[in-house]
Amino acid sequence: MMASFCLFPWLYMLLVSLNDRPDFLGTQGSIGLSGGHYLAVLTERSLHFLDYLRNSAIVALSSAALGTVIAALAAFAVTRLDLPGKAAVLFFVLAASMFPQISLTGYLFRLMTRLGWINTYQGLLFPYVAWTLPLSLWLLVSCFSQIPKELDKAALVDGCTSWQVLWRVLLPVARPGIFAAFLLSFIAAFNEFLFALMLTTDHGARTVPVGIALFQGLHGEMPWGDIMAASIVATAPIAAIVALFQRHIVAGLTGGAVKG
Amino acid sequence: MRDRGILFILPLLAFVAAFIIVPICGAFWNSAFQDIGYLQTRFVGLGNYRQALSDPAFRQSLKFTIIFIAVSVPLELALGLAFALILDLDLPFRGALRACVLLPWAIPTAISARVWELIYGYGYGLANALWTGLGCGGPVNWLGTPWRAFGSLVAAEAWKTTPFVTIILLAGLSAIPRDLYSQAKVDRANSLQIFWRITLPLLRPAMLVALLFRTIDALRVFDVIYVLTHGGPGGSTTSLSLYAYKYFLNGDFGYGSAISVALFLVAFAFSLAYVRLAGYCRALA
Repeated sequence: MMASFCLFPWLYMLLVSLNDRPDFLGTQGSIGLSGGHYLAVLTERSLHFLDYLRNSAIVALSSAALGTVIAALAAFAVTRLDLPGKAAVLFFVLAASMFPQISLTGYLFRLMTRLGWINTYQGLLFPYVAWTLPLSLWLLVSCFSQIPKELDKAALVDGCTSWQVLWRVLLPVARPGIFAAFLLSFIAAFNEFLFALMLTTDHGARTVPVGIALFQGLHGEMPWGDIMAASIVATAPIAAIVALFQRHIVAGLTGGAVKG
Repeated sequence: MRDRGILFILPLLAFVAAFIIVPICGAFWNSAFQDIGYLQTRFVGLGNYRQALSDPAFRQSLKFTIIFIAVSVPLELALGLAFALILDLDLPFRGALRACVLLPWAIPTAISARVWELIYGYGYGLANALWTGLGCGGPVNWLGTPWRAFGSLVAAEAWKTTPFVTIILLAGLSAIPRDLYSQAKVDRANSLQIFWRITLPLLRPAMLVALLFRTIDALRVFDVIYVLTHGGPGGSTTSLSLYAYKYFLNGDFGYGSAISVALFLVAFAFSLAYVRLAGYCRALA
């Protein structure tokens, strides 16, 4: 029952996307399976669905990669190096992760307009990196602090620089945590809506969630079959990630959250 | 290695400062001005805030946001607790079940809201197919009246966010020592007593974390409303985020900033409570 509660909207999405008429529930017995909607969203250039998908993939992958690297460096500094005001930094970064996005968008919109970055990848990339950093930092700090300090002390005695300690000692051991941070940042960036809505104008940089939210029929009628087919194609990779890496995701979501 | 530490954390600080801290300060600054695209920018002090307090649309969206939190967060906590208790049992296919539960959390809200839009659709949506199929009456316009739209939004939001609560509470459950349960069974406690006397009290920290997270998140709710009702009917489901967004969209940056600053202050108060509660900084640094 729990599984069906969680899955039924997605199954409904699948059903509608495969049906040649979205109103099959209203009109008795005219269920015809077809892949026409998939063909439409994948080949019809004017729908720009593939553009949205490409934009999302580029922005989400690069911001997750960049964000994870930056967070790993920072987590190393917080857990291993001498840093004045560590507690204050953690405090403010964690608090920053809970700021409402709307209070950033007004300023960001004007900033990106001034830089000429509206509707560009970098215009989304930089805010996304900043937006996902607090979560990754918090995750990686709790991951690094579980690794025994004796490991890097031994490496330091052997003459490693702190850079080598991070690269050769910590990163290999912390790989699951780093992967979890990457996955969570990727999902967060892929799902992000408000920044993408404000900072993009068309298929040049618009991401999938905004593309699907603004998807309209050309002739007034809502093309539900196409919308649902597009939704299936867009969420299939996410569903695959969840199925394959649920352990990492759960560990990431709860990393430290309940320890306090 | 004093200076090295700063070197390693500098990229993070630069990003957070440039794209989170400065924009917030910018919002504070802008909120003190009348700043509308086509007009001369003019300092108005707290004028924008005064305007908000006297605007019935603002009060409506404040009211909506508060009721939305008050209804959806407890619902999500209750559902999430039930799910977590089920997932904590030794069931077959636990991994697959956990993946199912994660799915609503992982797919973009805007996309799942689109599915809900179709489900609530008047002519051929799933909700009406079930409603009329079960003989409850004629088709209903699920987004048509303020209360129905509210209920429909809460259902869509609860579906989307219950998984998060479930995962947090599941971690809390698995931290409860198993011998407490076996000890209670030796003492002939029934399962209801075990739940009330052991599980619930020991789950309190995790519940608080989930509660605060969900409250902060519900406070800034935007995506699901933008897609499902666009704030309607008649502005009755306009959240504070959507209200501010509409002003930004119309080029009124001063007033929009004032609303977003007010929202920020409330969210910040909650997050301070959270960070204090979790005690991270002390524990980790």
